Amino acid sequence: MNSCHLQHKAQVPGGVRWTSSCRLAPLLTASPVRALIDDKISIRGHFLPPRCPVTVCAQMQSDDGDLWEAFAHFNTNVNGTVNLTRDPSVGGSYLGCEPMGLLWGLQPAPWAREGLRLRKKKVETPYVMLMSLLKGHVSPSERPSTELAALTAERWYMAPGVRRIEIRQNGVVGTLFLPPGPGPFPAMLDLWGMGGGLVEYRSALFASRGYASFSLAYIGHKDLPGPQNRINVGDPYFKSAFKLLQDHPQVYPDRIGIIGLSFGVYLTLRLASHSDIKPSCLICINGPAGSTIKLADADGRTEQIENDQKYWTYDDQGNVSFRAVSLPVNLSPESKVKLEHLTCPLMYIVGEDDLSASSIENANLIEETLSAAGKSQLFTRLSYPGAGHLIEPPYTPNSRASLWSVKPQKLVTLWGGHLAPHAAAQEDSWKKILEFMETNLRH
Amino acid sequence: MSHTGPPVVSVHPSRAMVDEAFKVQVENLPPGFPVTLHSLHQSEDKDYWEAFGHYVSDHRGTVSVADDLSCGGTYTGKEAMGLLWSMRPVPGSREGLRLRKLNVCIPQLVNISVYSGHVGVGFREQDPLASVLTERWYMAPGVRRIDIKEKGVRGTLFIPHGPGPFPGLLDMWGGGGGLLEYRSALLASHGYASMALEYFNPAEVNTAELELNYFETAFNIVRDHPQVMSDRVGLFGLSLGSIVSISLAALSSVVKPRCCVCISGNHTRARGGTIGGVFNEFFKNVHKVRMDENNYEIWRGMGLPIPDDISQKVDVGKINCPILLVNGDDDQNWPTVESAEDMAQMMRAAGNEHLLTRLEYPDAGHLIEPPYSPHFRATKFIKGGQKVILLWGGTTKPHSDAQEDSWKKILAFLQQNMYSSSGPRAKL
Repeated sequence: MNSCHLQHKAQVPGGVRWTSSCRLAPLLTASPVRALIDDKISIRGHFLPPRCPVTVCAQMQSDDGDLWEAFAHFNTNVNGTVNLTRDPSVGGSYLGCEPMGLLWGLQPAPWAREGLRLRKKKVETPYVMLMSLLKGHVSPSERPSTELAALTAERWYMAPGVRRIEIRQNGVVGTLFLPPGPGPFPAMLDLWGMGGGLVEYRSALFASRGYASFSLAYIGHKDLPGPQNRINVGDPYFKSAFKLLQDHPQVYPDRIGIIGLSFGVYLTLRLASHSDIKPSCLICINGPAGSTIKLADADGRTEQIENDQKYWTYDDQGNVSFRAVSLPVNLSPESKVKLEHLTCPLMYIVGEDDLSASSIENANLIEETLSAAGKSQLFTRLSYPGAGHLIEPPYTPNSRASLWSVKPQKLVTLWGGHLAPHAAAQEDSWKKILEFMETNLRH
Repeated sequence: MSHTGPPVVSVHPSRAMVDEAFKVQVENLPPGFPVTLHSLHQSEDKDYWEAFGHYVSDHRGTVSVADDLSCGGTYTGKEAMGLLWSMRPVPGSREGLRLRKLNVCIPQLVNISVYSGHVGVGFREQDPLASVLTERWYMAPGVRRIDIKEKGVRGTLFIPHGPGPFPGLLDMWGGGGGLLEYRSALLASHGYASMALEYFNPAEVNTAELELNYFETAFNIVRDHPQVMSDRVGLFGLSLGSIVSISLAALSSVVKPRCCVCISGNHTRARGGTIGGVFNEFFKNVHKVRMDENNYEIWRGMGLPIPDDISQKVDVGKINCPILLVNGDDDQNWPTVESAEDMAQMMRAAGNEHLLTRLEYPDAGHLIEPPYSPHFRATKFIKGGQKVILLWGGTTKPHSDAQEDSWKKILAFLQQNMYSSSGPRAKL
């Protein structure tokens, strides 16, 4: 059978009528094509000419409708295939052999709004990823370019059978995720930072890995009392949340851990230091052992969170860094958690390029305090060079800076972290977080 | 702290295509602990299907279905996918059931549970130690499903995601009739624009006037679709659909398939050129239908002996594209292996045997479906308006092996002939 000219009959918008002397039908595959966020995906191109330049690009739309893109340049091998698990990218959003680079390398499209951060609000639906195989070494915004093949893949925070339950009980505001099955399950209490609201995606993933997980809101949520720019809850609130988990019929009351990011670290440590709260383990990511802001006290008095503005610093673009707010010397002495009271293993994760919190200093403080109390065996530190503040589940892009507020003025805050090292930190720390949870919650 | 940590069962990937393997694991059991792994699925018809395997955990308290041996249950030995292919209707179900997905846009949900001890019955009456849900999909994300009602042709076209154009397939099921989309959805998920064709209603067999030109029109609808490569359209059939494919490949002056995949087919000639004619041809020998001990009908005898008279057979010497025949040698519905042998002889005499590849599987039956589907040894069938149960044949384990192996080889054959830049090749 002789080769003959290919007539491209489809009128693809912006597409090119492609004629070629070589009859080829390239194929792009991904496996698994419906994956969990922390699953690796194997991406391959087949039936291409040998030793020729191609571009693989990925596009994903956030829940807010913003477009994120990544692309990588490859040269096909002698068999006319490209395999992202084996082949290095020679240009684009990342370099080198990075099987998941098209995912953690996603950046806002050139025309996107500024100061974006990629966070899934609706965890019950997947991210839909459109991947294309393009002829030559191009960037996605260069039009026209010949699209050789394409595919759609889904990325999920929730495994099949995971149940999402809104909790508004005893004044506690949060979302509980339960794995499928009869239970009972070991559990996690999941605490985020001063950005507020209710961040569910990490809990959804924990439940997809077999742990009941409870995302707790404590500031900036409409169902919480008081003005949204203050912490209107105190110790009793966090204790209620922990007890709510303990009392849940599908949770093992003596197998509950606490994880906190940023200000959530302070809340984690403070909660665990109460004698009547006995978590099995603590995971602290880039946060302080004390606070400049008080939680609501027993009489309900609260403090404006802008009171720590005196510690804010600005770069020459007017972007703000909160880093100094959590310097141990700036933390109010009475807020510093009595770490010597801790009785369970603690894993502290540091991003060495954290521009939002004084993570290294606080890790040191915690380590020294525990050591002085003869409890150094409880402490594990994971430290990642080049990683920033937002160490999140793997294969999601890092934002070095993002929009923090629009009122009273537009403010962009610095998180830190360089793309590739931050991605490596997320991948490694997530694995170690799950191992730490397995050791302390399952055995 | 309670002294025994909770066991965990996991399935990876938790969302998979139906022809993808998964890994089922149980962790955190006591060491040397006997457990039963159980799968449960409720079909669209609301029947329950289940499978189970008996295992003993290792010194770390782990059971890995892909690596360990099942010592009892609906399957034994090292069988990573045994929990799917050995499924059968739960005790007390209606007779002659067959599992076929009608709505391909949503997945099959399978519950995988682990029970304490080696259990064989009463799974619904006791609580498992742990359980997990897994999704099995016929359709990849981005595949488009298009209803076709054009020029009298009825079918569903599935187009892969992407700019195309794609190689195309005309996909035809058997004498059970109706419109079954699942294989086409799966083929589209592998990069083929595939049209599942409705061409037969068993209640109308006596009046079925479908002639070859219905299929020629259907083939051309696929061929002429803007996202299909017009010179890369193949035929894919099962049973009656294979007979149609063989007829088209040999006799049609209009249809030029790039290649043909024919599962459990034969080269009976349609008397008068209609599908009704094919059935009438079969039932000339209706006295040769036997009943087994359960009163299931064995039709195989109707096809024997293979006639010597070539006017009763399709002249397969005229086929000029690669053709893959897939058959089970325990096929109780038709003597498909004998037919394949006869076809080979005819093609040898005509000088086109190099186009033929034959796959024959010991102890496999008639209904060779995509991998990990349960084995249907005998199921209900409408014959001339009556409900009977036909014996398809096959023993579960060899039949499942045949489904798994043939699918791999079918995909390789299609890729070779439809995707590869070198010309079509018959031999795999």
